[in-house]
Amino acid sequence: MMIRCSGKSGPKAVVLGLDGVPFTLLREYARQGILPNLANILGHGFRLEQMDASTPEVSSTSWTSFMTGVNPGEHGIYGFMELQQGTYKMHFPNFADVQAPTIWNILGKNPSGKGSSLERRYRDAIKGTYRSVVLNVPQTYPAEPMHGVLTAGFVAPDLRKATYPEEAYQYLKSIGYVSDVDASKAISDTDVFLGDLSDALEKRRIAFEHFLEGNSWDLFIGTVTETDRLHHFFFDAAYDPGHPRHGAFLSLYKGLDDLIGCIYRKFMDRTDGDGLFMTLSDHGFSCIRREIYMNPWLKREGYLKTDPGRQYFEQVDHGTKAFALDPGRIYLNIEGKYPRGAVKPGDRKNVLNEITSGLMALEDGEGNKVMKEIRENEVLYSGPLKEKGPDLVCTPHDGYDLKGTLAKQEVMGKAHFTGMHTAHDAHCVLPGGLETAGRLHIEGLARHILDHFAST
Amino acid sequence: MEERALPIVIVGHVDHGKSTLIGRLFYDTGCLPHDKVEEIRKRSAELGKEMEWAFIMDHLEEERRRGITIDIAHTFFKTAKRKYVIIDAPGHKEFLKNMMTGSSQAEAALLLVDISEGIREQTKRHCYILGFMGIRQVTVIVNKMDTCDYSRAAFTAIEEEIKRFLIQYEVEPTHIIPISARTGENVAKKGGKMPWFQGPTLLEALDGFITDESADRRLRFPVQDVYQRNGENIAVGKIETGTITRGQQVTVFPGASPCKISRIVKYGEDDVTVSHSGECIGLIVEGAELRRGQVLMNDTHAIVGDTITARIFWLLNDPYIAGSPLTWKLATQSVACTIDKIFRRFDPATLQIVETDAERINNSEIAEVRIRFEAPVVADKFSEIHEMGRFVLEAEGHPVAGGIVV
Amino acid sequence: MDHLSSLENKSIYIIREAYYRFKNIAMLWSIGKDSTTMLWLCRKAFFGEIPFPLIHIDTGFKFPKMYEFRDEYAKKWGLNLIVGRNEEAIKAGIRCDNVQKLLCCTELKTNALRQIIATYGLEGIILGIRRDEHGIRAKERVFSPRDDNFKWNYEDQPAELWDQYKTTASEDNHFRVHPLLHWTELDIWKYIKREKIPITDLYFSKNGKRYRSIGCITCCSPIDSSARNVDEIIHELETTHTSERAGRAQDKEDAYTMQKLRSLGYM
Repeated sequence: MMIRCSGKSGPKAVVLGLDGVPFTLLREYARQGILPNLANILGHGFRLEQMDASTPEVSSTSWTSFMTGVNPGEHGIYGFMELQQGTYKMHFPNFADVQAPTIWNILGKNPSGKGSSLERRYRDAIKGTYRSVVLNVPQTYPAEPMHGVLTAGFVAPDLRKATYPEEAYQYLKSIGYVSDVDASKAISDTDVFLGDLSDALEKRRIAFEHFLEGNSWDLFIGTVTETDRLHHFFFDAAYDPGHPRHGAFLSLYKGLDDLIGCIYRKFMDRTDGDGLFMTLSDHGFSCIRREIYMNPWLKREGYLKTDPGRQYFEQVDHGTKAFALDPGRIYLNIEGKYPRGAVKPGDRKNVLNEITSGLMALEDGEGNKVMKEIRENEVLYSGPLKEKGPDLVCTPHDGYDLKGTLAKQEVMGKAHFTGMHTAHDAHCVLPGGLETAGRLHIEGLARHILDHFAST
Repeated sequence: MEERALPIVIVGHVDHGKSTLIGRLFYDTGCLPHDKVEEIRKRSAELGKEMEWAFIMDHLEEERRRGITIDIAHTFFKTAKRKYVIIDAPGHKEFLKNMMTGSSQAEAALLLVDISEGIREQTKRHCYILGFMGIRQVTVIVNKMDTCDYSRAAFTAIEEEIKRFLIQYEVEPTHIIPISARTGENVAKKGGKMPWFQGPTLLEALDGFITDESADRRLRFPVQDVYQRNGENIAVGKIETGTITRGQQVTVFPGASPCKISRIVKYGEDDVTVSHSGECIGLIVEGAELRRGQVLMNDTHAIVGDTITARIFWLLNDPYIAGSPLTWKLATQSVACTIDKIFRRFDPATLQIVETDAERINNSEIAEVRIRFEAPVVADKFSEIHEMGRFVLEAEGHPVAGGIVV
Repeated sequence: MDHLSSLENKSIYIIREAYYRFKNIAMLWSIGKDSTTMLWLCRKAFFGEIPFPLIHIDTGFKFPKMYEFRDEYAKKWGLNLIVGRNEEAIKAGIRCDNVQKLLCCTELKTNALRQIIATYGLEGIILGIRRDEHGIRAKERVFSPRDDNFKWNYEDQPAELWDQYKTTASEDNHFRVHPLLHWTELDIWKYIKREKIPITDLYFSKNGKRYRSIGCITCCSPIDSSARNVDEIIHELETTHTSERAGRAQDKEDAYTMQKLRSLGYM
């Protein structure tokens, strides 16, 4: 059964991004009656499904996979932080580094010189030029001119540079919109932090409603990031009524549910239900049992040597075979690829296998295995930017948060964070009648959205 | 040796495409650093529109928010012939103060006019100021020809209007050139869109400007300071015009006392026999005790005295009331003074005389005045020697007016 | 008059004017190529005897070669050298890797300078910044007033007409004088070549890399280059187009991003 649109004003789609909101949590909360608006939507022909995030499952990669509909081998974003080609210097990729066009680029007919398998597939199928409103999607900073309105999500150091066009910035400024709360006070000043989250969520709702109202839009994407922030510090409060912050946790979810309700109502008003409505998250969450520090492990096993006299990853010293970047990416220090490369290309396979078996055998000190699976670049990525990716990506069992820090000495530990990302427990709310094949993957959603616009 | 850079000012209404033109000039002459080009590409509008060249000039926060350039930005670019320093003059009334500073250093000007907008009030004001500053080399650029389909008729019509208009301001343009800063037509090269236009491209017109070297003019050496080295007094300063030769006899003004140039001193150079205009040198003289403010000359044609007739441009928001105290600054002179007669004051945009024998001068007005000094000053008519004919008036340490001696 | 001479003369005029106007003035010497060129111009302006002190703001993290160079030429040229350090901040261990970049610069550089200005009662500082270095600097004036909080009110700049520079006005805390404002990077190198001005060899290529600008060892990264001397650098600059500060890690946005990531458990 296909979704047809009335044809009066053309196809419309509203997509709500709920950063880090797990399928299991939503299902449980909806069942408990904590989310009446969501429950109402689910009762009106929509279904809630579990979905897989990108690999790695960090927000920058996952949201990029969502908005471009392709894998990192085509869009080029493998994490929040990369090393600049041929060096050990850190680089924080931004939207300019995204090498594939987004859904709104394709719909707005401005791929800005970028190409991808998705773009090629839909180039001729999309007949019209459609206007998009894209609010707070991570990895879209700095804002590039496009057909519509955009304000970038995480990381957005400057709101004006994050927003297109100028009038949209003026509006956001006037309502005191905040692109991200200050998470550094989550533990030291928890009440303030929780207050900030609630305020930020409120401003999001106001902004979403404003742009849904005033603008003529064809595609609307609005993402809420407050949930992810809450989860990092207080995920252990999600199901535990005894937790001192359980009330605050539920309260934020109530706010979220209100937002979902408002947006859905606006959607219904605008389209009489003849449009596409979806919600999704970029990954799930689970409680942290242990943090696992990859680089100290590599050091202990003799794969990594560091020179403490240098900064950050410049510390990678001669004789290093591999180093790790957040969250579970492993790069081989190949001769010719890096300045102090020590692994001969011919030895690559051997080193990869060694590291893989070593890590797969890693236990948490209580007899539990840390790693769920470790996969190679070969099987994970395809596309012109495949080589830019890590050689191995580790996916841990729930509870073991992998870290790429160089600052620790021990292999395991615990910090003040209580929630970690999970790759298998993202969610998607979609029309009951929308045909999908197999398990949902975040990369596959773009096609469904574009199909909706191609069906005219 | 590389020729000195030619300072030029680009004047025009804010919407007429000035920033776009500057960006275009940079790009077409290959003067944009690669990473700036990348920056601009990413900040530009899509959907078939050209790059927003104007972003290269938009650095201040205020600007971006308000969409206009508010201050002088000095930017450099070069052609095969020479280097140019663009002094980007803004186009709004409230920034005239800044604009005067920019124009004051320019030796040639591009007057930018939008084909569909024509000549605006601001343009008229700028023309007057250009003439006022003695900028004789002006090329008129008629921009946005792409919006009227490169119409010859439209251009011819505006060309006529421009010529008629400029005559009033005693400005004779070297060329009137139709261009499109956005598409680059006629900027660096002709793209074939206006085959009927026989004149030069904008860059060719720029290369045709003459740099003014005041080589064999009358000597004017204002003393900037006096230093003691090895028991001798060295008078330092810049030769504004003329040349100084070792052994030359000169006269010190005010006072008209004679003195002889014993030695010309330049650090690192042993035997300097002659120095030219523009050079900062030290002088050891016989027959006079020099001090800052005095001017060494080789003729008697300068204006020396305690009154001067001048044309001034009032910069302050508060009006000037005749008789109020001011400080005059010309070259290295700083003398207390007052304006005791305001002959006429007028609105520079319309050239209308607002009042004769006035008691006050309002913001942004031009006035012809008599300035009375507490001690004698040395100056030249602006039209004869620019460097000794332009001055600043200050009140309480702030510049309040710029002017020229007439 | 040729281009370099015209730049040189204009700078000398500005320097002499600054000395005349301010009773108490000093020049900031960062040991880099621009300020060493400015120092050279000062020596010319004052016939070898600079009548005011040179200030080196030392963060403690400068390249060792810079310190050597500084001491050698301070002696050779008979300079009255003042070294300014924010001792408290240095003792407190403020460095670029454990603190945000901006904060480090503020504490170790800006506040050290503030201390010096207060200690010596300086009315004016001479600095070697150029207009072509970066956008916001393109709007600086030759004589630029700074108020007590070191803020530069760029929207309301005093008019600078015809070599008449605004040098009085009681509400200004101190003035900044910029004699090199009209010079470009290439001009500086050509002048260094013409005058044979000594500069530290950090600017010259070693192992395929050289520093395009030098400051704290923690924040400056070298660029790829094979230019081993001034001539080769001039040639390189004439044929490449990268902005000078590309090597300097003072990227506010990266610092912001890092701080954000840290607060969420990354890095």
